[in-house]
Amino acid sequence: MLLTIEPDGPVPIYQQIRDHIVEAIADGVQPAGSPLPSTRQLAVDLGVNFHTVNKSYDILRQEGLLRISRKSGAVVQRDASSGPPDPGWVPDWTARLRTLLAEAAAQGLSAADIVALCQTVIASFAFPGGPDEKEDRS
Amino acid sequence: MSAGTLAADITVPFFGALLCVTPAITRPTVQFGVRVPAERTGAPVIRQQRRAYYWRTAAVGVCCTAAVLLVGKHGQWWLTRLILLLEIAADLGCMVLARKKIAAAKQAGDWFAGLRQTVVADTSWRADPPRFPARWLIPALAVTAATVVIGALRDRGNTVAFAGGQLYVTALWTGMLLLVYHSRPDLEAADAAASAARYRRFLAAFARAMLALVALVNLTLLLAALRTWHVYRPSGVGAALPLLPFAAGLILLGAVVVRTGQAGFRLRGGGDRGADTAAGANARTDRDDDRFWKAGLIYVNRDDPALVVGARFGVGWTLNLGNRTSWLVIAAVVAVPAGLAALKAAIGL
Repeated sequence: MLLTIEPDGPVPIYQQIRDHIVEAIADGVQPAGSPLPSTRQLAVDLGVNFHTVNKSYDILRQEGLLRISRKSGAVVQRDASSGPPDPGWVPDWTARLRTLLAEAAAQGLSAADIVALCQTVIASFAFPGGPDEKEDRS
Repeated sequence: MSAGTLAADITVPFFGALLCVTPAITRPTVQFGVRVPAERTGAPVIRQQRRAYYWRTAAVGVCCTAAVLLVGKHGQWWLTRLILLLEIAADLGCMVLARKKIAAAKQAGDWFAGLRQTVVADTSWRADPPRFPARWLIPALAVTAATVVIGALRDRGNTVAFAGGQLYVTALWTGMLLLVYHSRPDLEAADAAASAARYRRFLAAFARAMLALVALVNLTLLLAALRTWHVYRPSGVGAALPLLPFAAGLILLGAVVVRTGQAGFRLRGGGDRGADTAAGANARTDRDDDRFWKAGLIYVNRDDPALVVGARFGVGWTLNLGNRTSWLVIAAVVAVPAGLAALKAAIGL
């Protein structure tokens, strides 16, 4: 996985790392069970503070996407093929999605354009079972 | 002029030539220690400063080589070392001069305005790290073993000094290369996947050339020991013999460095170079990190946990002096030979 960040950008670095790893899981680049570098290694490779990467990994762990142990290090805990999420996760995510879609609506994108863009993004994700499965889920 | 003097003085033209061609083997997006966006690499100020640098350093190299040839006649070996130091200082002075001009143009034109400055990491570097070519240590260790055996057979007391020197050289460069193998790869944000592949090939070639040089340095020390032990006559061609392997090793390393370029940027393959740079305003460029490079040569960044980073000018690596461990490494590199010298004096070898 190529992990790109903008150190001087408006989004906090820990958030950029977290977002990039989530996208890599959805894209199928980092499937469930695949290892990630240790926090120290990733901090060295990105040239950022060790605590910054630690914060990203901690968020991913709280979200159930990452498993961290002394023996096996950081490993992706789940992906699209791991079944539905916890029931409590969907309302939280829907609230965030509403904000994201509201930004598009406020900027003047039509409902059809927003749906088309959503479908384009979803098409780039690695759902189990191929495109049909994508249709069912979307 | 003796053959020995000729061999001893090869370092002056070698470093002169290497420093002269350094801008050509340094990545185009880092010009004389100044980070520049890909679309500015052909800026008039850069072309002008590169031409001026080539002419200046070529003149310095020719003058220093001529001086060494003149001085060598009188056998004053320390003068050649002084000339080498002066040559390096003069070439670095030329580099700093060019750097100032380009940095001023960059600041005046705000070259990074509106560009996405990014840093990229390749996680496969940790999941599938490159293997250190340990087999290439065998020649260096074999030469050291031969030195010990020959010294023991001829009952020479100073075997420890020669073998100790060989072990120090081997351990020092093996340790440095191991640090490099564990450090971060030098990737280009606009060409991340391809530059990662090229960096692997560069590291493999550089490490092998470096370990070959270590073996040849050890061979130089063995030949020097044999000369000291009167195995062959230290006159005529015999005087030059010890330094020939060292010279061959330097030429080999120089050839590898010129072929690969910094971080392997001169190597072909690994993907479509610059595919991302053509993507318009949203294209990624390397982060402008000039503020962490003192004089464009010394890296000091306390927020960067890296111990070793890619060199800014030329091919190689440098320590992050903002990391405390760097000072321990420097202390160890200095303390070991000082300790060996003190031990040698104490036991009267």
